[in-house]
Amino acid sequence: MTNRARNIRITAAASVAVVVGMTGLVAVSEPLYRLFCKVTGYGGTPRMAEKASGATGEAMFTVRFDANVARGLSWGFRAAEPQMSVRVGEETLAYYEAKNTSDLPLVGTATFNVQPDRAAPYFNKIQCFCFTEQVLAPGETVRMPVTFFVDPEITKDVHARDIGTITLSYTFFKSDDQSKARVAQSEFKPESKTYSN
Amino acid sequence: MAEAHAHAHGHDHGAHAHHPTGWRRWAYSTNHKDIGTMYIVLAFVASLVGVAFSMMLRAELAYPGMQLIHDQQFYNVLVTAHGLIMVFFVVMPSLIGGFGNWFVPLMIGTPDMAFPRMNNISFWLTLVGLCLVATSTLVGTGAGTGWTVYPPLSNAVFHPGMAVDFAILSLHVAGAASILGAINFITTIFNMRAPGMTFHRMPLFVWAILVTAFLLLLALPVLAGALTMLLTDRNFGTSFFAPQGGGDPIFWQHLFWFFGHPEVYIMIIPAFGIISQVVSTFSKKPVFGYLGMAYAMVAIGFIGFVVWAHHMFTVGFNVETRAYFVIAHFHYVLSVAAVFAIFTGMYYWLPKMCGRMYDERLGQWQFWITFVGVNVLFFPQHFLGLAGMPRRIADYPDAYAGWNLVSSVGAAITLVGTLLFIYLLYRTLTAGERAPANPWGEGATTLEWTVESPAPFHTHEILPNITTQPAE
Amino acid sequence: MTKSRWILFCLVLVGTATFGLDALAASTGAPVPWQMYFRDAATPVMQDIVDFHNLILWIEVAIVLLVLGLMLWIIVKFNAKANPVPTRTTHNTALEIAWTVVPVLILLVIAVPSMKLLFFMDKAKNPAMTLKVVSHQWYWSYEYPDHDGFTFDSNLVPEDQLKPGQLRLLEVDNRVVLPADTEIRLVLTSDDVIHNWAVPSFGVKMDTVPGRLNEAWVKIDSKNIGTYYGQCSELCGVNHAFMPIAVDVVSKQDFQAWVEQARKKFAKADEPLKVVDAGTR
Repeated sequence: MTNRARNIRITAAASVAVVVGMTGLVAVSEPLYRLFCKVTGYGGTPRMAEKASGATGEAMFTVRFDANVARGLSWGFRAAEPQMSVRVGEETLAYYEAKNTSDLPLVGTATFNVQPDRAAPYFNKIQCFCFTEQVLAPGETVRMPVTFFVDPEITKDVHARDIGTITLSYTFFKSDDQSKARVAQSEFKPESKTYSN
Repeated sequence: MAEAHAHAHGHDHGAHAHHPTGWRRWAYSTNHKDIGTMYIVLAFVASLVGVAFSMMLRAELAYPGMQLIHDQQFYNVLVTAHGLIMVFFVVMPSLIGGFGNWFVPLMIGTPDMAFPRMNNISFWLTLVGLCLVATSTLVGTGAGTGWTVYPPLSNAVFHPGMAVDFAILSLHVAGAASILGAINFITTIFNMRAPGMTFHRMPLFVWAILVTAFLLLLALPVLAGALTMLLTDRNFGTSFFAPQGGGDPIFWQHLFWFFGHPEVYIMIIPAFGIISQVVSTFSKKPVFGYLGMAYAMVAIGFIGFVVWAHHMFTVGFNVETRAYFVIAHFHYVLSVAAVFAIFTGMYYWLPKMCGRMYDERLGQWQFWITFVGVNVLFFPQHFLGLAGMPRRIADYPDAYAGWNLVSSVGAAITLVGTLLFIYLLYRTLTAGERAPANPWGEGATTLEWTVESPAPFHTHEILPNITTQPAE
Repeated sequence: MTKSRWILFCLVLVGTATFGLDALAASTGAPVPWQMYFRDAATPVMQDIVDFHNLILWIEVAIVLLVLGLMLWIIVKFNAKANPVPTRTTHNTALEIAWTVVPVLILLVIAVPSMKLLFFMDKAKNPAMTLKVVSHQWYWSYEYPDHDGFTFDSNLVPEDQLKPGQLRLLEVDNRVVLPADTEIRLVLTSDDVIHNWAVPSFGVKMDTVPGRLNEAWVKIDSKNIGTYYGQCSELCGVNHAFMPIAVDVVSKQDFQAWVEQARKKFAKADEPLKVVDAGTR
C-alpha cells in the first residue's frame, strides 16, 4: 500500500507538472508568437534588418503602399507614392504622410504587415515608424520614412519568386495611452515637420 | 438513486463507514458513484437549457424575417450560450464526469477515485461554472461573441459590460474543474487498477477516458491562459489581442484552436469508448482488434494536437468554409455522434446506476424519433452551406427559407424524441423492473456487471483479481 | 422495416430527388429556393473548389456505402438468430493493417489536390488592378486605389425600400463594380472587429482583420457577366446578418464608363489627404 501511495503521489505530481508546464508555455506564448512571426514571416510579418546585404539582383518587384486609419483616430494617413518599382536587394526609401484633422493633439500607433504572406520573410525593413507612438498636434502633418529592401533570396523560393507585387500595409490606431498628447498640447506649435528617428 | 442499497454493504471501512445522509451525502460527497450521478443530473439540467436555447434559434429560423427574436444581440447571446452550455456543461460533464466517474473505478476494480475530495471539488466547480454562464446571458446585453469569443468583438470596446467577463470566468472555473478531474482520472487509472488489470486488459472505455484526461491536461491550461489574457485585455489595459497596443487578434485564434481542436476529440473519444463496450457486449464477443482500437484512440489524441496547425493555415488563406456546411458538419460529429453515445451510455448503464430496467419499446421509439429528427434537422444544413448561407445570422435571404423550415421541423421532431427520453427516465426510475447484476448476459464481461444493481455505495472493497482478459 | 417506415423512407427519397433536380438547374450569383449545391463558379478558384469538393464527395459516398453495406451484412448474417454462437475471432493482422493503410492512402489522395488548391487560391499571378475592401460595423466600403482612389460605402437596402425584383438582405445601395476578363487583386482589412468578405460564386471567403491586410484574387470570364451576391461570414456583432455584398461584373468598356461616373459621384472635396474621420461614424 505504501508503494501504491508513493506511486499515486508521483503520478499526481507529474500531472500537475504537465499543467504547470503548459501554463508556463502559454505565459510565454506571446513573445514566442512574436518571435515565430518574425523568424518565419508568418502572418505577413516583415523582417527587421540593420542594412541591405549589398547583393542586388536583376528581378524587379512592384511594392505597393497601403494606409489605413482605424475607427476612433481622426487622422488622415496615406503613402506619398502609391507604388514603386524596386530591384531586389536595393535599399529603397518611401514616405507615408499623416495629418491630424481634429482639433486635439492625438497619439497614434501603427501596426503593419506584408502581403502576400509568402513574400514577408524576404521583405526587410531597415527603418520604420511601426509600434512607436506618434504624437500629432491639431492640424499637424508629418512625413514618415520607411527604408526597406527585398532580399534577393526570394528568387530562389519556388513559392515566392513569381510574386510580382508586394503590398506593405500600415494601420494607425488611437493609442490607449494618450498622456503624450496632453504634454504636446501644452507646447503646441502649429507647423509642418518631417519626422525622422 | 442508490439509496435502497447504500447500506447493504456497510462494511467497517474507516471514514466511509458512516457516510452522511440527506443533503450532506451529496454536498460533501466523496463517493465516485454519487459524484457521477450528480454530474449526470447537472448535464441533464444544462441540456434542458441548451436545448431550449437551440429550439428558440430554430424557431426563429423557421421562417425568413424576425418573428420571435427581435433583438439580434439576443440571438447572438443564444448562439453563444447554446455552444458553451452544450460543450462545457452537457457533453463533457456527462461523458467524463458522469460515466467516467461512475464506471472507471468499477471497471478497473478499485473502491473509488484516487482523490475523492478533489473529485467533489471538481463537481461543485463545474456547477459554479454553469451558474456563471447562465448569469452571463442575463447580465446587460449578454455575450454575443460566439463560443469562440474572438477579439476584438469580445473586447471591452465592442462588448462593454460584465457579460463576457462572466462567460470567461465560467470557462475558467469549468476548465479548472476539468483539469482536477483529469489529474484524478490519470492517477486512478495508472495506480489503482485491481491485480491483473494490466493496461492491455483495461476496457476500451477506460482507455478512452485516459486519453481524454491527457488531452484535457494539455489543452485546458492553454485555454485558461488565453482567457486570462482576454480578461486582462478587457479589464486591466493589457493588449495581447488589441492591435492598438501592438497585440494581434490572430494570436487569440491560435491559442483558442490549440485548445479547440483537441476539445473535439475530448468530446468524441469517450463516445468511442462507450460504443466499443456496447458493441462488444451485445455481439457477445470481445472487441475485434482491441489493441488497435486502444492505440488508435491514443493516436487520435496525439494527432488532435498536430492538426491544430491546419487552423493556422486557414487564417491567412480563404479555405475555411465558414458557412452552414460547418454547422452541419460539427453537429453531425457532436450532436449526432457524441449525444447518441450519451444516450447509448444511459441505456447501457441505467440498470447499473439506478437498479431498474428501462422500457425497451419506449427506448426503440426514442431512438427512431431522435434519429429521424437529427437527420431532418442537420442534413439540409449541408445544402444551405453549399448554397452560401453564413453562420450565426438571425435572418436570411428568402431563398434559404425552404431548407431552413425543413431543418426547424427536424428540430421539433428531435424535441419530441428528447421529451420521450425524459418520460422514459421517469418511467424507469418510478416503475422500472428491478435489474439483475448483469442484465445483458454473457457479452457483458467488464467488472461493473459483477456487482449488484444498483451498484452499492461501496464496491470492490475486496479487490477483484483479474485472470482473464476482459477484452480479449 | 415496418410498412409505415418504408412509406416514410420512400417519401423522403422522392422528395429529395424532386428538389434535387429543381436545385441543380439553378445557376446564378444569388441563392435560389431549395438550392442543394454550390452556386455556379464564376472564377477559376471557385471552379477548383467545386472540383475538389466533388472529388471528396465521391470518396465519401464510396466510404459511406462500404460501411453501410458492411453493417447491413452484419445485421442480416450475424444477428442472434442467424448466428447464435458468435465467433471468438479478435485478430486478423492483414485486415487490421489494411484498414489502417487504406485510410492513410485516401488522405494522401485528398491532401495533394488540397495543397495545390491552397497555393492556387493564395495569390494572383499578375493582377491588372486592385480593389480594396474595408469592413465596418455594419457595412462595407470599397476603394479603387488604381483609379485615383475613389471610395464609397455599400449599405444594405432596408426591406421597406426594396424595388420589385430586388433580393431582401442581399441588395445594397452602392454595388461594387468589377471588370470581366481582368485579374483583380483584392486587399481586405477592417475598421473595427473581424468580419469576412464572402462571395460564394467567386470562391472568396476572406477574414478582414483590424490592423492587418489580407489578400485574395478573382478573375471573372466575360461569359459570366452579371450580379453576384454574398454576405458577411464572421460574427461581427448585432447587425452581422445585415451587411450583404453585391458585385456587378461588367465588360471592360462598361467598367471604364462606370469609373468615370463613379469618380464624380464619389469625389470628395479638395483634401490634401484621404481623411478618415472616425468621430462622425
